[in-house]
Amino acid sequence: MRKFLQRTLICILMMSCSFAWAQDQIIPEDSTEFRDFLILQKEVQGLSYRFYLLEKSISDSLAADSVYLFSKTDSGFISNSFSDFGMIQDLEKPLVEDSLNFRLDFVVFSQSVDQTAVREYLANLVRNGDYQVKFEEIKSSEDLVSLASRSPYSPFLKYKLKFVADYKLFGVTVVIVFFFVVALTMIVYMLIMKARKTKRENLQKEYDQLIVDPLTSLLFEKELDEIHDMEMQEIYQYFPQSYLGKPLYRDVLIDRIIGLNKKMKGEFKDKLKVLYKRLGLDKISAESLKNKNWDRVTEGLVQINEMDLVEALPEVKKHANSSNFHIRSQAVATLLNLSEKVDLAFLRDQTFPLSTWQQMSYLRIIKFVGQQKDLKLEILFDSANKSIRIFGYKLVRMLGRIDLIEVLSKKAMHVEEDEKIEILETYSVLGAHMEAEFVNQCLNSGSPNLVIAAAKAAGVIGNEESASILMGLLRKEVSFSEKLIYLRSLNELDKAEFEAFTQLNPDAQILEIRAHLLDPLLQHV
Amino acid sequence: MKKILIIEDDLLISSLVQFRLKKDGYDTHLVSDGNEGMKAIDSYGPDLIITDVMMPFRSGIEIIHHARQCRPDTPIIVLSSLGEEEQVVLEAFNLGVADFIPKPFNPNELAIRVKRVLK
Repeated sequence: MRKFLQRTLICILMMSCSFAWAQDQIIPEDSTEFRDFLILQKEVQGLSYRFYLLEKSISDSLAADSVYLFSKTDSGFISNSFSDFGMIQDLEKPLVEDSLNFRLDFVVFSQSVDQTAVREYLANLVRNGDYQVKFEEIKSSEDLVSLASRSPYSPFLKYKLKFVADYKLFGVTVVIVFFFVVALTMIVYMLIMKARKTKRENLQKEYDQLIVDPLTSLLFEKELDEIHDMEMQEIYQYFPQSYLGKPLYRDVLIDRIIGLNKKMKGEFKDKLKVLYKRLGLDKISAESLKNKNWDRVTEGLVQINEMDLVEALPEVKKHANSSNFHIRSQAVATLLNLSEKVDLAFLRDQTFPLSTWQQMSYLRIIKFVGQQKDLKLEILFDSANKSIRIFGYKLVRMLGRIDLIEVLSKKAMHVEEDEKIEILETYSVLGAHMEAEFVNQCLNSGSPNLVIAAAKAAGVIGNEESASILMGLLRKEVSFSEKLIYLRSLNELDKAEFEAFTQLNPDAQILEIRAHLLDPLLQHV
Repeated sequence: MKKILIIEDDLLISSLVQFRLKKDGYDTHLVSDGNEGMKAIDSYGPDLIITDVMMPFRSGIEIIHHARQCRPDTPIIVLSSLGEEEQVVLEAFNLGVADFIPKPFNPNELAIRVKRVLK
């Protein structure tokens, strides 16, 4: 602390010294330069000068001069004090012309001092900030007017309007105007859209009313064959040609027929499908598959699916591997639903992974279709897309296709781990005891997930070897949950081995699991 | 002439049902939402009510409750796409509906059931 204070004081002292030295440097040492310096300063507070003539006598005119006001002293004459140093040269001139011996005396507050004292006095003033030193102005060597005349004239005020010249105000105004214009455009746009929407809704209601009665009477008055054989002129009596040319009327008609088709069954459903084609609405549905908007394409696919438009299937097939999730899902659903001979090649060739939602949706259709048609599920096992292959294994399980176990058996050894897990589950559900060897290979694989899946399957389709592998696994350092799975499988597989193992290995966890597995009340907890 | 009240928000379905029932010589009245249905039960005095379950303002179950209080002897047929939902069907039958027809349905089949209920 002490050192710090010392250093601080030294620093302050050094700084003040250097500052004082710098101030002193402003005042010249040389007497000639000092004289010029004073002339430049003109007046300095408290400082004046006077002329001292070292003559015994002076001319009457000089003695009577009202500027100098010389007064006689013992050794000569002394002039009045002057404060304006700028006048030195003018005052010196008559004295020099008269060849008089004179000197300049400096006076600081009525006290005669030498040049050194004057310099110190000035330095003090400057240091204390009581006086601002004047410096010689650097003047251009040329006349300002002549310099100005050389440069071409350009007005300083560039714009006529002061408003435009003030760029900040101009900028803010532009931003505000921009927002107003955008807001106004949006309001106008919204109003136009709302008006259009209202008009569309009103038209839809109007068309709804126009469609309900003819559609109802047609469905009750005409038989299926009659609708099929109806002349176009007769159809136009129900649905006028002038209206059928309007896109909105056609859209409403499509919506109503499809809506009714969903809620009707029996002959009414067939009548609606025939009517749909007779009105040429099937062409509009097929045409919408070429639309650039995905929602229109999906809508078209739904229409084709609902109205059983099998003739549009080649076009639907093109969308089965679309990059759009909704189009792809709907196209596959339509193909599964409508294909006469369901060839699952379009599903096999899908490059996009199947989501669980898609799997659920396809399973529902395949379950329904599988009751009527022969599905060649095995082609899904050859897909380059892993999610499709896994979906294929799931389908074998869900549809109970025991006939495909042999096909699966040939593939099982060469597939990836998660596929093996799915196959093991399928084997287990279908009770494929002939695949016990595959289960044992998986039990020996060393991969934790595969071993657990195989252990679960071993409980259902395992053999003696599976039991000994399970016991081997139990002797290793395994977690409680793994022990539970292995022991449960061992118990299901071979009760005698389970008893023997648990009695020979009275580990606390094993005994706990044993009690749980054998307790009839806790078995399903 | 027997009076049948049809409470259904789908205009096309209600028109189809009305058309079919008129062919059989019934006097029918259509309403498109739950509130209107409640009012019509009191004002129209139907011999049979055909109602949907999912409707604007009031559900079909509320309508059945109301009908059971105002007109306990009027039979009710429920026409709904919730036919696969066991809970809804059970609740409707517990409230004493005469029949439950799930959608999709055949209007001719509905006409036969109406005839049987009104006998």
